[in-house]
Amino acid sequence: MSENFEPNVVAFLCNWCSYAGADLAGTSRIEYPSNLNVIRVMCSGRVNPMFVVNALQQGADGVLVSGCHPGDCHYMEGNFLARRRVALMRELLNFVGVDERRFNMSWVSASEGAKWRDVVKGVVDNLHEVGAFTEFPRKKIDW
Amino acid sequence: MSSKPKIGVYICHCGINIAKTVDVEELTKYAVKLPNVRVASDYSYMCSEPGQLMIREDIRKNGLNRVVVASCSPRMHELTFRKALVEAGLNPYYLEIANIREHCSWVHKDKQEATAKAKKLLQAAVAKVRFLEPLQEKEVDVGAAALVIGGGIAGIQASLDIANAGFKIYLVEKTPSIGGRMSQLDKTFPTLDCSACILTPKMVDAASHPNITLLTYSQVESITGYVGNFQVKVRKKARYVDFNKCTGCGLCAEECLLADRVKSEFNMGIGNRSAIYLPFPQAVPAKYSIDPHSCLFLTRGKCGKAPKCVEACPAGAVDFEQKDEIVEFKTGTVIVATGFDVFDAARKPEYGYSDYDNVLTGLEMERLISSSGPTGGKLVLGKGDGEYVPKEIAFIKCVGSRDKSTGNEYCSRVCCMYTAKLAHLVKDKLPEANVRIYYMDVRAFGKGFEEFYDRVRREGVRYIRGNPSEIFKRNGKLVIMVEDTLTGKPLEDEVDMVVLGVGLEPRRDAREVIDLLRLSQSSDRFFLEAHPKLAPVDTAIEGVYLAGCAQGPKDIPDTVAQAKGAASSALVLLSSGKVKVQAQISWVNEPNCRGCGYCVEICPYTAIELVLVNLMGHQVNVARVNGVLCKGCGACVAGCLSGSVQQKSFMDSQILPQIAALGGKL
Amino acid sequence: MPDFDKLRALAKETISRDDIKYLIGWRQGTYGYRTSPHFVRIPEDADQLIFSPLCSSNLATYLALAEKRPVPRGSQPDTRKVAILVKGCDSRAVVQQLVEQGIKREAVYVIGCPCEGVVDLRKLEEKYPHTLDRVGARWENGNVSLDLPSGNAVFPREEIVAGKCLTCRYPNPVIADVTLGENVEVSGSTAFEDINRFEVKSAQERWTFWRDKFNSCIRCYACRNVCPMCYCAECILDKQNPAWIQRSVNISENTAFQLARAFHLAGRCIECGECERVCPVEIPLSYLNRKLVKEVTEQFAFTPGVDPEAKPLLVGYRPNDKGDFIL
Repeated sequence: MSENFEPNVVAFLCNWCSYAGADLAGTSRIEYPSNLNVIRVMCSGRVNPMFVVNALQQGADGVLVSGCHPGDCHYMEGNFLARRRVALMRELLNFVGVDERRFNMSWVSASEGAKWRDVVKGVVDNLHEVGAFTEFPRKKIDW
Repeated sequence: MSSKPKIGVYICHCGINIAKTVDVEELTKYAVKLPNVRVASDYSYMCSEPGQLMIREDIRKNGLNRVVVASCSPRMHELTFRKALVEAGLNPYYLEIANIREHCSWVHKDKQEATAKAKKLLQAAVAKVRFLEPLQEKEVDVGAAALVIGGGIAGIQASLDIANAGFKIYLVEKTPSIGGRMSQLDKTFPTLDCSACILTPKMVDAASHPNITLLTYSQVESITGYVGNFQVKVRKKARYVDFNKCTGCGLCAEECLLADRVKSEFNMGIGNRSAIYLPFPQAVPAKYSIDPHSCLFLTRGKCGKAPKCVEACPAGAVDFEQKDEIVEFKTGTVIVATGFDVFDAARKPEYGYSDYDNVLTGLEMERLISSSGPTGGKLVLGKGDGEYVPKEIAFIKCVGSRDKSTGNEYCSRVCCMYTAKLAHLVKDKLPEANVRIYYMDVRAFGKGFEEFYDRVRREGVRYIRGNPSEIFKRNGKLVIMVEDTLTGKPLEDEVDMVVLGVGLEPRRDAREVIDLLRLSQSSDRFFLEAHPKLAPVDTAIEGVYLAGCAQGPKDIPDTVAQAKGAASSALVLLSSGKVKVQAQISWVNEPNCRGCGYCVEICPYTAIELVLVNLMGHQVNVARVNGVLCKGCGACVAGCLSGSVQQKSFMDSQILPQIAALGGKL
Repeated sequence: MPDFDKLRALAKETISRDDIKYLIGWRQGTYGYRTSPHFVRIPEDADQLIFSPLCSSNLATYLALAEKRPVPRGSQPDTRKVAILVKGCDSRAVVQQLVEQGIKREAVYVIGCPCEGVVDLRKLEEKYPHTLDRVGARWENGNVSLDLPSGNAVFPREEIVAGKCLTCRYPNPVIADVTLGENVEVSGSTAFEDINRFEVKSAQERWTFWRDKFNSCIRCYACRNVCPMCYCAECILDKQNPAWIQRSVNISENTAFQLARAFHLAGRCIECGECERVCPVEIPLSYLNRKLVKEVTEQFAFTPGVDPEAKPLLVGYRPNDKGDFIL
């Protein structure tokens, strides 16, 4: 892996907890790596696990899905539904040889700005070790 | 509206908040080159009036039909910019925000890195905005009535406010009388008003109000529907006394074979009542009811030769054939004012509450000291010949509050003041008594509280800082083991009586209410408000509001204030008669739906149902979303195998380009 | 294994009923070891029905995919039942379709055929390639007996049946209105030894294995089309707006397609192995499916296609679902 490899991470954050937690990290000026870009969804339950496969295809080296802590979901159970789906997709990806550190999930609440930093740092640090995703990216990415 | 996207990109400096770390000029230059972007501008404060004006003018001048604002979090100013779009005649949902402040300039230091990230975020917003669709904000009618669950001071106040505004109220109370916990109190702190004197008129007002239907001794069985259109089913439990015939004379209770032999809930078990009873003298409605758990005739089928109450009643109101009755009605809103339970002191066995008669809880002390209580307000302990007047009296605060061992980390907010009040009342009745209060902190935060605390100390009540570890009996006296943490000395304090300042807990039957309405609980197990600061009376369920201690411990003024807040929130809906429905909801592409019902099962709001539709002559199932019930979480979308369910503004066709824009190289 | 006379008599009786639209079974194919689906619409059609170790295909696919021709104005749709012959695994497909409301219980008449296993044609072709004459087959004391052009040959079960049959937990139909023959002994387990063995390999080794397999995928979609659980009117992976998967055949799109196909079967795959059987380039697809079967079994103690009243796996959750991977 080249020395200056910087992983590209796509993150799906629920509007109510994790996105707000990331906002709080901002208002608290908590610094973290700039490798992760956020897509806002209303609930982690909206995240189709195929988004993850798609993100890997479209140039991401890693993916993060982040929702409310168990019991805190704004929509009561979306994060629980997401957890099951993510658990299975992680196993499947791992089975075909995609390093499981490429697919992460976290619970970050609206008050956990510092945790958000730790999550981002952890994911990015891991991906530095894992390296670029070369298994099945698309050759050309159009949007 | 499906004409080619013409996008305007607006990049905010946010003073220097963004511009300091993101090269806004470079970002603007980059934005112009992105597909479908017509104009890109930057400005010091996009949210300001000149900033918004810039957007509005561009929309008009350049015929823009999509807008991207790169600025602070959409949680901050999405609404502001949506309004700007509307003012310029554009659908407000043709907007996408790139969060380059909270998620970028504020969390990164390196200008190059931050600018590169801002480009990506902006690119993703542009990618998405091209595929956004116009959405309509619909409205539904709100039924001109409200259901209030719980007839304590919170429920009564909320009912009165709404009823006075001219709307119908159904006030449902589980026990035979309204009044709640406040009716059990002797005096209220810090003003020492007689609790009954200020509460009873409100109870009577509620009962006699033409707009209020009082359903006492009743329980809500089910609530279906949604904001504006709740269908409520209430079980009116059999009182075994004809409500219309009973005059409340009380002759039945005097004659009851169990007269003065059944523990009175109202008096916290200190006093007794009959099996046919009025919970307390000022009960509203003043109608007797028979307690089916103690009445001999109802439990054993036999009561002497014939039930005495039947003979005693001059109105012939006693009716053992009475059955529960189901009442159904519709309301537009619901207020949950189900109150609290006091902490069960038996869960702190070290304080001997279960073992010693002279260890009381605060609420028991209220009844003991109340002139309407079982002793007529005489502060005496023991019975008959064993009766005695306590001389040495101790209070212990924070019993079951601020105590992880009981699972209650929170402060109950009322114990500091009610122990001070009770201590004052003791000194008032027994000036010779020695009263001390064991405390961890004194939180006299309310209006007039500190002054009252000072007054009580001046009256000779001693405050000793220490959390007692044990209470046991020695030579007929209670001994409190405690360390005075201000002097560091261990004490063994011999007293005649201990009053435990028990805290407030969520009601033990809270689960029933949660199941009725799918309410959430916060970590303290009280009902969860929609926002702890900005929506403290709202819940996640639209049209359902919280009042009083159901949401968390409160004193009476706070409870009344919150009840009025809940009433005003309910009245916003009721008086406008309409409620706006979420626009970013799910919908089903019916021809593509395979009718598997996954989405139906997934939806936590029962917003989706399978309906039979005619497909070229065949009856087939497809899913259909109720746009009023849908809250727009999108969980159904991710669970749909055929991709037939989509969430507006969060469609697969809108998210996939976002992913591509973030994944792709700059 | 029922004799054909009994099977055909039952089919005739069934198709003669007023409430049966047609019956789906198997018949001898046109050559070699092949068998074909057979639609019995009149009693005479039943004379061609067979049930043998060569009857691999899962007929339940035809239930949910049954074409619904437009009903002429003024007339009523034909709502009579479809009768179907099912092996154990096929019956689980029927149950899972009931769970997913793809079919209604009253619309189907299930004829259960307890099954000792079906022959893996690839194994047979290896031994006797290019056999053109029609071959009959039957079970004899736990062995497969084949009438080959060269004469009768008997194979032990382990040597000749499909891999899925060796681990089969449901050889007997889990749902049936009538059953042909006696139930057979259950020998399969949930040990997932094959999956476990693969999992201990390095990520690199695993990817190399699958990369080679997915690289060979020609995206013919036979795996999807044969699957009894894939019955959407339009497959989400065929859609162009949005295009989840691009049409080009390359490692990226092939992998994404196979992952999507497998994931769509999470908690739904009933292990009939049809996808693998029909794959022209021999991708071990049931291996991929079985990985998820393993997770579903071990993490969620869930078995699809056994209880028509069950809730599907991915529409619910338990608060204590495994979450040790969550940061």
